[in-house]
Amino acid sequence: MHKKLTLSVAMAVVGAGLLVASGIAGTASTSAPTKSGSSEIKRGGTIRINTSNTDFEFTDPAMNYDAIGWQMLYAVDSTLLNYPDKPAPEGSRLVPEVAAGFPRVSRDGKTYTFTLRKGLKFSDGSPLTAAAFKRALERAADPKQASPAIAFMHDVVGADARNEGKAGSVTGVTAKGLTLTIKLLRANPTFLAELSMPFFGAVKPNMAIDPKGINVFPSAGPYRIVSRSIGQSLTLERNPFYKGNRPANADRILYTVNTDQNQSLLQVKAGQADYDAAGVPPTAHADLAQQFGVKKGGPGRYYVNSYLGTSYVALNNSRAPFSQLNVRKAANYAIDRPALVRVSGKFYGKRTDQILPAGLAGFREATLYPIKGADPARAKQLAGGADNTITLLHTTSALRTAQAQVVKYNLEQMGLKVQTKPLPFAVALRTVSTRGSDFDAYVGGWVADYPDPFDFINVLLDGDNIQESNNSNYAYFNSPKYNKQMQDLAKLSGDLRYAGYGKLDIDIMRNSAPWAPFANPNSREFISARVTNYIHHPVYAGAVINALAVK
Amino acid sequence: MPLLEVNNLRTSFRTDDGIVKAVDGVTFSVERGKTLGIVGESGCGKSVTCLTIMGLNNRRNSTSSGEALFNGENLLEMSPRRLRDLRGNDVAMIFQDPMTSLNPVHSIGKQLVEAVMLHRDVTKRDARLRALELLKAVGIPRAERRVDDYPHQFSGGMRQRVMIAMALINEPDLLIADEPTTALDVTTQAQILKLMTTLQDEFDTAIIMITHDLGVVAEIADDVVVMYAGKVAEEGAVDEIFTRPHHPYTWGLLGSLPRIDADVERLVQIQGQPPSLLKPPTGCRFHPRCPYVMGVCRTDVPALLPVSHQPTHLQACHLDEETKDHEAAKLLEGTLAEVG
Amino acid sequence: MLQYLIRRLLWAIVLFVAVTVVTYVIFYVTPSDPARLAAGQGATAADVQRVAERLHLDEPVWQQYGRFVWQLVGERSLGTSFVNRQDVNDIVFRAAPVTAALVFGGALFWLALSIPVGIMSALRPRSLIDRAGMVFVLVGLSAHPVWIGLIFAYFIGYKLQLTPITGYADFFNPSQEHGGPVQWAHHMLLPWLTFAILFAALYVRLIRANVMETMNEDYVRTARAKGAPERQVIRSHVLRNSLLPVVTILGMDIGLALGGAIFTESVYSLPGLGRQVLQSYENFDLPVIQGIVVFATCCIIVFNLVVDLLYAVIDPRIRLT
Repeated sequence: MHKKLTLSVAMAVVGAGLLVASGIAGTASTSAPTKSGSSEIKRGGTIRINTSNTDFEFTDPAMNYDAIGWQMLYAVDSTLLNYPDKPAPEGSRLVPEVAAGFPRVSRDGKTYTFTLRKGLKFSDGSPLTAAAFKRALERAADPKQASPAIAFMHDVVGADARNEGKAGSVTGVTAKGLTLTIKLLRANPTFLAELSMPFFGAVKPNMAIDPKGINVFPSAGPYRIVSRSIGQSLTLERNPFYKGNRPANADRILYTVNTDQNQSLLQVKAGQADYDAAGVPPTAHADLAQQFGVKKGGPGRYYVNSYLGTSYVALNNSRAPFSQLNVRKAANYAIDRPALVRVSGKFYGKRTDQILPAGLAGFREATLYPIKGADPARAKQLAGGADNTITLLHTTSALRTAQAQVVKYNLEQMGLKVQTKPLPFAVALRTVSTRGSDFDAYVGGWVADYPDPFDFINVLLDGDNIQESNNSNYAYFNSPKYNKQMQDLAKLSGDLRYAGYGKLDIDIMRNSAPWAPFANPNSREFISARVTNYIHHPVYAGAVINALAVK
Repeated sequence: MPLLEVNNLRTSFRTDDGIVKAVDGVTFSVERGKTLGIVGESGCGKSVTCLTIMGLNNRRNSTSSGEALFNGENLLEMSPRRLRDLRGNDVAMIFQDPMTSLNPVHSIGKQLVEAVMLHRDVTKRDARLRALELLKAVGIPRAERRVDDYPHQFSGGMRQRVMIAMALINEPDLLIADEPTTALDVTTQAQILKLMTTLQDEFDTAIIMITHDLGVVAEIADDVVVMYAGKVAEEGAVDEIFTRPHHPYTWGLLGSLPRIDADVERLVQIQGQPPSLLKPPTGCRFHPRCPYVMGVCRTDVPALLPVSHQPTHLQACHLDEETKDHEAAKLLEGTLAEVG
Repeated sequence: MLQYLIRRLLWAIVLFVAVTVVTYVIFYVTPSDPARLAAGQGATAADVQRVAERLHLDEPVWQQYGRFVWQLVGERSLGTSFVNRQDVNDIVFRAAPVTAALVFGGALFWLALSIPVGIMSALRPRSLIDRAGMVFVLVGLSAHPVWIGLIFAYFIGYKLQLTPITGYADFFNPSQEHGGPVQWAHHMLLPWLTFAILFAALYVRLIRANVMETMNEDYVRTARAKGAPERQVIRSHVLRNSLLPVVTILGMDIGLALGGAIFTESVYSLPGLGRQVLQSYENFDLPVIQGIVVFATCCIIVFNLVVDLLYAVIDPRIRLT
């Protein structure tokens, strides 16, 4: 799936597991992340970042909703709780940032009270108080602002009324000095994680409502935005009033947007640019690895890190032939997982036959289907003579097209007739997310940046959530038995929750096989020789840009 | 010494299909102040003859030999620089189609001034005065106002007048006119011819008049060269050729003249098409179309020889002189009245 | 003249309606969902519905088109982007100078390249320069601008480091890291060259043919008969006449070139109209696509008008009626 959207989607349902973390860490004081790396890290200089083939849709935190934007806002924004600037697993555990500690949560789980740290300031020198967060929530709910963040506020008391214009403010949010109180309509295990999204970072209490988004604004993170030229560039500078412990190594970070990916790679090789936030061309990985070696972190140029995602063929359970269990199972025997990984470029990822990615809390390895190669004979036998003509949908990207060719070949070996249907991203998205669309299989993927199985199992496979359109359950899998199990597990916490999801993953794949999963992909990034201190952030699935330093 | 003496002139062109001998041994001369008419069907080599004299053939695909002595200087072996000095100054040329022979993007004044300044060391002002003078001389009404007009603003006849003005602007000794009236209507034709003869007297210019129209020749020429398929068929003084033509091709030409008394039966018609110069017929080139053809005509090329009674009248035909005289007399009964 | 202008204006209106209607129709027969893209995938169905209402995507197509025309005529506004909510007027006017720089600079390049080569080839057919010119034409016509762009950037920008590999420097605003006229020209060098190659090839061919044809014109023979030296014959009688048609074709090609700018701009990361339209297409951002289409159409209409007027000035035979 498209990185731009997948991140947003994943973040939308940020995991309930965090609640657990907050429970454990409830008494912890402000975590003080140290500057990562060794003493050789210098401050100063300019870092140049390209974002190939894409621009920030907005830089206004209430409006931005794309992967590169959140990676950038992570350096600019300051949220109540935040993820440390560290690799997994630490980087994916929420710790208090502006909040002095984890919030006080009422017994019914519906009232959250935050106390802010003293003495923090915005980049214009003005003090940061609880009003900053109330303003962020008000802007997100304001009907004129029309922010996409409203999708994550439906549980806040008064948010919907405000958004429909029936109230002058969000009644459930009150700010008094350094104390912020938020009232919810119902207990929500994912609320803290939602509140940690860049949407709800601190903004000045007088920040205006502007449906076009405000491009340059005072912020409270390690960096501030000093200028933006839409379609061309964005400049960040170190926030002179920043008092926190997060790194801010370069003096300036200069973004050039909408670059060409091949040219951008040349620039990074030549040191004219330092990093491409949108990645390198899929064909370049083998060369880069050979030339610069493969690193996870530390000194180096080329980094490969696993992230929590699964690439899979969604089998349309709502119509023949994949409405039949045996044909879905047959597909899992038929697809050639090594070939699929091979056609996707060097270090694409690790083969899998499960829904949950390896490394996710609760994941349990199981041997379900052949992952070292296809078993066409067994597939044909299982398919029981099914010879339907099926439509295999995929986006027009080079990656998905190559994968779809392999899938087509494999499914034809088990007796089906396959017509591939490549569509532009926007059109493919519309088709697969609308119930009753004409397709039988879809080659896609899911990226979670948040370590909780809910994000995969419930979001992608809960049949009770299937609507007319706008679905994420591209398999249209709807099993009352499993729906109930998922919904019950979502309410649990701790070991019980993870063990339950781990088992459910295996049960669903073994007994119902709604998908044919084939790989857990990697984040593959390349930096210039000028810079150092690459940290792969597990939540934002890319470099921590405020940590990058000029050598 | 004649003004121009052309001896054994030959010009051939290389084409994709082979070598075309467009002019194959032409000899004639022009006296100072006199008019020579060159007649023949299209493609007989009359235009090429003149372009060769002017050095205007494409050098890339043509070769010439023989000589063209202008005041004793061989134009064919002259340096390009000397030739440029002569062109437009001592020898000028008028072309068939006045519609395309003037540059459409320059005013006629500019084109006339260019002609003056190429050969005279004068100021632009003086050149312009000279241009005006000539435009008046060739009868352009309101010349002062029209000098800055562009060619497309003039009629065909007016453009040909401009061409004549341009040719005569440096008072050349020789004017070569390549079918100057063909593209014009009959009334204009007569005016242009009259203009040319008037100016000839005024400037004492010799003229080579290339035409396929014997009527034009009769009107202004002193001498005539009849060409057929790159060779001279007959040449001599105009009266001689019109009263005692000695070549069957000339008879044909005279017979094809338009007649005022249309009820008189035509005596001679030329049958067939002019031959291809890529592969000309053997012997006499006219023999495939000649009603008097004999065996010798198919094998031997007839020499250009004087007729017995008049040494300046040359003809190239194998027929005996008696037959020629007889046939010429027969023809004349039908044509002379009208030609005169 | 006035009549001519009125007729041209009426034609422009017909063209405008045709072009914008076609864009709308193409957009609406494609099954995409801009409201959903704008709302984000986390949005609920109700959220998407609200976005659709805000963007007027819930109205029938004809009503949306009517709104578009009304805004354009009444408020001179091209509307607002679905994706980043910017005024399309701003987007277009920010991108247009970049494209203009590319197209006009490129046109200068291709003329500077093709006129001498075309003339030399025509004057010396089958010579070395003629044959070299023809090889250039073949390459220029066959190679795709993206490929040429990548090759140039790799060898000239990356290996030889003579130019920046890619990117744009603002002409007027030296406050950015790169800026000012010198940096601007330095960054535009490869794009200009890349952009010019295809057209240079076409023009070499065109000019060669025109010059050869003009050399056979009667008035050229007249000029020689006047005793004009060859140099003057070519300069004063051949060139002007053979370059006249180039002016007309140039006017049409500047319009075509706007299309070619898509490739050059995207391969060199130039923030012009071409790259913008490509990006907006990926996001199905109709107002921006429509705005650029309208703007480009107007430009083409204006160019053709200017060329017609100019032609009347340089060719005395033409009168506008």
